[in-house]
Formats: sequence, C-alpha cells, structure tokens
Amino acid sequence: MNLERVVFGFFIILALALNLGFVAGDMDNSTHHNPWLLFAALMVGLITSGLKLGDRSQIGALVLAASLVANLLLMIAVSVWAISEGGMEQTTTPGLMVTIVSLGYGALVANIVSVSVLVSDTLMSRR
Amino acid sequence: MPSATSDLDRVTAVVLQFMRGPVLVLLFVYAIGITGMALMPGQEVDGNPSRMNLFHAFYFFTYSATTTGFGEIPHEFSDQQRLWATVCLYMGVVAWLYAISSIIRLALHPELLRAIARRRFARSVNSISEPFFVLCGFGDTGSLLARGLSDQMIRAAILDTDTERIKALRLRTYRVKMPGLCADAGIPRHLLDAGVQHPQCRAVVVLTGSDEVNLKIAVMTRFLNPRLQIICRDTDADHRELLATVGEVTLISPFEIFAQQLSAAIYTPLLRAWEDWLVGDRSVDLEQPLRPPRGNWVLCGYGRMGQALHEVLATHGIAFSIIDTAEHLQGGEGRRIRGRVDRNSLSDADLTAAVGLVAGTSNDEENLRILLSARAVNPDAFLLVRQNRHENELAFNAANAHLIMQPSLVLARHILLFLLMPSLGSLLRYLHTDGIGQVKDLARRSRERLPEGSPFLWSEHLADLSCALPGCRNEAQGLVLGDLLRNPADRESSLDALALVVTRDEREWMLPGPRFKVQNGDVILFCGSRRARELIRATVNNPYTLHYLVTDEEAPRSWFFQWLSARLRPSPT
Repeated sequence: MNLERVVFGFFIILALALNLGFVAGDMDNSTHHNPWLLFAALMVGLITSGLKLGDRSQIGALVLAASLVANLLLMIAVSVWAISEGGMEQTTTPGLMVTIVSLGYGALVANIVSVSVLVSDTLMSRR
Repeated sequence: MPSATSDLDRVTAVVLQFMRGPVLVLLFVYAIGITGMALMPGQEVDGNPSRMNLFHAFYFFTYSATTTGFGEIPHEFSDQQRLWATVCLYMGVVAWLYAISSIIRLALHPELLRAIARRRFARSVNSISEPFFVLCGFGDTGSLLARGLSDQMIRAAILDTDTERIKALRLRTYRVKMPGLCADAGIPRHLLDAGVQHPQCRAVVVLTGSDEVNLKIAVMTRFLNPRLQIICRDTDADHRELLATVGEVTLISPFEIFAQQLSAAIYTPLLRAWEDWLVGDRSVDLEQPLRPPRGNWVLCGYGRMGQALHEVLATHGIAFSIIDTAEHLQGGEGRRIRGRVDRNSLSDADLTAAVGLVAGTSNDEENLRILLSARAVNPDAFLLVRQNRHENELAFNAANAHLIMQPSLVLARHILLFLLMPSLGSLLRYLHTDGIGQVKDLARRSRERLPEGSPFLWSEHLADLSCALPGCRNEAQGLVLGDLLRNPADRESSLDALALVVTRDEREWMLPGPRFKVQNGDVILFCGSRRARELIRATVNNPYTLHYLVTDEEAPRSWFFQWLSARLRPSPT
C-alpha cells in the first residue's frame, strides 16, 4: 500500500462523488441543487489537481488534464451563479439553473475519466 | 530530381503524340459545324429569317456532337438548319469516337504505363522516412527476405525484371508497404528510383539470378553512393575477384554457411541446435539435438555446395567419396567416381560402409531420386538433401530426409541477421570459439525461460534512462541488467527474456550476467517472448517503474508527496 495512492484516490473519488451529488435532481429546479455542494466539489477538485502536479508519467499527465477540465467547468458554473441576479440564492430562474447544471455535468464527465484512468492504471500495475 | 523530370517529359511527349490528331480533328469539325450553323437561315421572325449567334451555335454543337441532344433551342429550327444539324451530328459523333479511342489507346500504351509505374515507385520510395533496404531480385530468397523484413516492420524497395514476380509482390500481405518496380536494376536510373541515394537507405541486397547483373548492380551502386553497404549473393571465383575491386561488398554464400553449419552440427550439435532455435525453428530439441554422425560420407554432386562441404569438412578430417558427372572431377584426394548416381555407383562409393550421404545437385528431382537409391543401398545412412526450389517443399518434407538444406532459406536468414542484428553475428562467432564452454548453460537457460520455443529477437536502445528521482541508486551505483529483467508485476520473478549482447560505442559484451552495469546509450540484444519485450520497453521508458524495480519502493510522484516524504523521512545525507 502506498500513501500517495491512498490520499490521491481519496480526493479524486470524493470530487466525483460531490460533483454527482450536485447535479442529481431536476435540471431546472434550483431547490434540487445545493450551492454548498458545488463549492465543495470545486475545492476538492482544486486540491486533486494540486496533488497531481509534478508527476512525470503519461498517466499522471492525463489525470491532471482531466481534473483541470473539471475545475474549469465548475469554476465557470460558480461564476455564472454568483454574478446572476440574486447571487447564489436557492431561487434562481430555471433557464440559468439549466446552464449551471449542464456545466456541472461536463465536470462530472471529466471526473469520471480521471477516476477510470486511475483505477485502470492501478489494476494494470498488478502489485 | 533529374529522373523525375525526364519521366515527366516522356509522359508529356507520349500524350502529345497521341492526342495531336484527335485534337486537330475536333477543332476542325467544331469550326465547320459552328460556322455553318450560324449561317443557316432560321424561322422567320417579323418577316426576316433569324440566325443563331455564334454562342448559340457553339452551345448547340456541343450538346449534339456529344449526343446529349436537348432539342431545338432557342427557337424551333427551319429546314435548312435541320439539314445542317444532321451534318453536324454525324461529323461530331465520328470525331468524338476517334478522340475517345485515341484516349483509350493512350491509357493502354506500355511506355506510358511504365513511366507512370516508375514515377509512382520513385515517389513512394522518396516518402519513406525510416531506415529501409533496397532489394534487387525477388526470387525465392528475395521474397523470404521481404517477409522477414516485414515481420520486423522494416520496409524495402524491390526491383525485379520479372513482371509476374512484381505482380505477385502486390498481392502479398506485408505488415508494411513494400514498393516494387519491374525494371532492370543494373540501370542507374532505376537504382536511383529505388532510393540508393536516399539518406535513410541502409543497404542494397543484390540477389538476381545472373552473376553479370549482380556485378553490374554492385558497380553502379558503388558509384551512385560510395558509403552504402552492398550485400551480394556469392558467385564463382572470377566474379568474386571482380566484386572485390568494387570495395566493401559483403558476399554471402549459402553453401559456405551451410557447410559451416553442418560441421558445427557434427562437432558442436548443441550450439547448432541453439542457433536454429534462436531463429524460430520449432522442430529443434535443445535437450536432444540432431547429431549427424562422424565418419565417411558420400557426396553426390560436386557443384558449389559439394565443393563447399568438401572444403570445410575435409579440414575436420571427414573423408568423402564423391560422385558427379562433371569433367573436372579427376584428381584430388578421396575416392572419386564419374557418372550418374545409381545403385551401382553408390555401391562403388562404398555407401554401405559410409555413415551419411549428401544429395547436393542443383536439380530437385535428381536429389529426390538419389535419396531413394541411397535408402535401398544403406537404409541406416544419415541423409542430407538439398532443396533448390521453394515450391517443391511438400515433396521434400515427405521424403523424410534427416536434414534438408534450402539455399534460399539459409541465405535469407543469414542476410536478415546480418542486416538487422550485426551483434548476433559477433555472439555466434564468440560461441564458436572462446565461448564454447557457455553453450550448455545458455541452452539450458533458453529451455527454462522459453520452453515453447520461437523466441523473439530484438535490440533495445537505452536512450534515456532517466531515473533521476530522489533515492534512486542509479546515479551512484549503476543500474544492473538484472533489474531491467525484473517483472514489474512481481519484482522477485524474472521476465522470459535473455540478454545476449550489450553494445556500447563499438565495444561488445557477450552474454552479460545479471550484475552487468548498463549505461545510457547501450544497445542490448534480447531474445524472449513478445510480452517480455513489451514489459522491458515499458520499463526503460517509465522512470517510476524503473525506480520500483531497482529499489523495491514506490517513488513519490508529485511535488507535494516528494516534499512530504522528505519531511517524514530525512534523507541519509
């Protein structure tokens, strides 16, 4: 067992779980989407990217790229929500909510990619 | 490129020559038809006959001459116009038929086809960006060689004078594209097309059936590219001397190689068996190698093969009785019988007392017949037969001789090893001389590591052994070969591969052991399974795996964990 794998695996899977928690629910219903979850997903995602800096392997580069994509999309989602009328209130208009949740889905795909790359790499190394 | 321009000129000349007539006829017919159509009076409009303008006349002529026929536009025609339209139609159709038949004849013109094929060949060779070889002659040996090169993903530009062989080449399924051209390789233009001046061209292999042509190709190639390696099928003494003046020509004689192999099989059977095992012969048994007997032999056929065998084996003290029809047989030591090989002459040659027989004429039917006669005279003799043509393979397999010698196969294998793995040649020379004591151990290890045979040979270039991670002992103590051969999935076990030769700046180390220290820039010749090759390749390209194999520790990969592990465990310095 390797400490780096444990810590990194923990953060990357946590980022995926939080991201899924945020996007679950009706897309246009703002009461189904908690701004705190979105914020937590972004923070964990940023930590994940930070932990991956410096890895010189091909797999490391791919995981870093995927987590940067997720962070970018989540950051746009947070910004859109923050500058909208009323700030990050639960009562956002359905049109705006759809945009925010769509960005969240995009980040979810990127997170799924990095988790599957990590899992397959671990399985391939067989030790 | 001069050859391409002259080619283009020729194509242009042929096209012009063929199209001049039809173009003139078409122009003439169009001119008459359009003028006439514009002059013919049409339907009366407001009392005056209307006429077509020149553009309408051209339009009409265009669609009627090509038999498209849109009808009478812009107005309905008058009778005069209809009369002229009929004339136009016949003239135009005949002129077009003439033009089309000329185009078809042009497309089938052999000169044009040849010029196009040459151009395509030259372009395809020119676009090769990795090292390749030029192959002159695509007979049995040439096609075996091309197959071997394709298995190693290496391309070759092929020249042969036989159209059928080049057609056959196009139908082969090679793993890489092998451009081929039906042309005389003795002509410098064709050698240029095949890429002898291409910067990536590594060698020219000359394998045509004629000694004269081989010599010519060697001379032309030497002038076109003085630094190029030339490998040539060996010939008679006269040509050998002439080729020596060309300089730096490697002559390879299948018969000499085979004679050496046979003497190796008699005196060092295990080494011989290992060599065959290495090139993928599945019938080899490394525990019980084939042992041709020592004693008196009968040699049927005293051509190039017979002479080579006689020369090599006589130095080892093996006596021969020789049977041949040739004049030059008289004189020389040993029993010599002139005449055809039959039961009488075989009895005269004392086959009953001999241990073995070589059926080595250049005629396959004769060789098979000799086998039958020999079995009748002495059923216990060791039978060695020469198979000249690849297509007779089934008959020879059924003949059940102890050893079959195919000159084309011997030659192709030898050239392939010479081209691709020069260090393997050094290893074999070493094993035949100083390293003879290591053969037994090598054969045992080969059997244990690769019990199913057919090993894969490859050279691994250690271009960048960057193991510059904290705690890696590469810098201080050196990376040893045994670490490279560790299995990444289970560090304590070893991969199914053997390191045969390490090459470093012109120096070679034979059969390096697991403690051998490797460096950046070394080239290691391995034999092993394909899986082992993939894993070793992955290991040398991945610093983290390398670090794990060397130290049994996972290196921290990211900056954060490098910092953390440095904090948690202060470095020994």
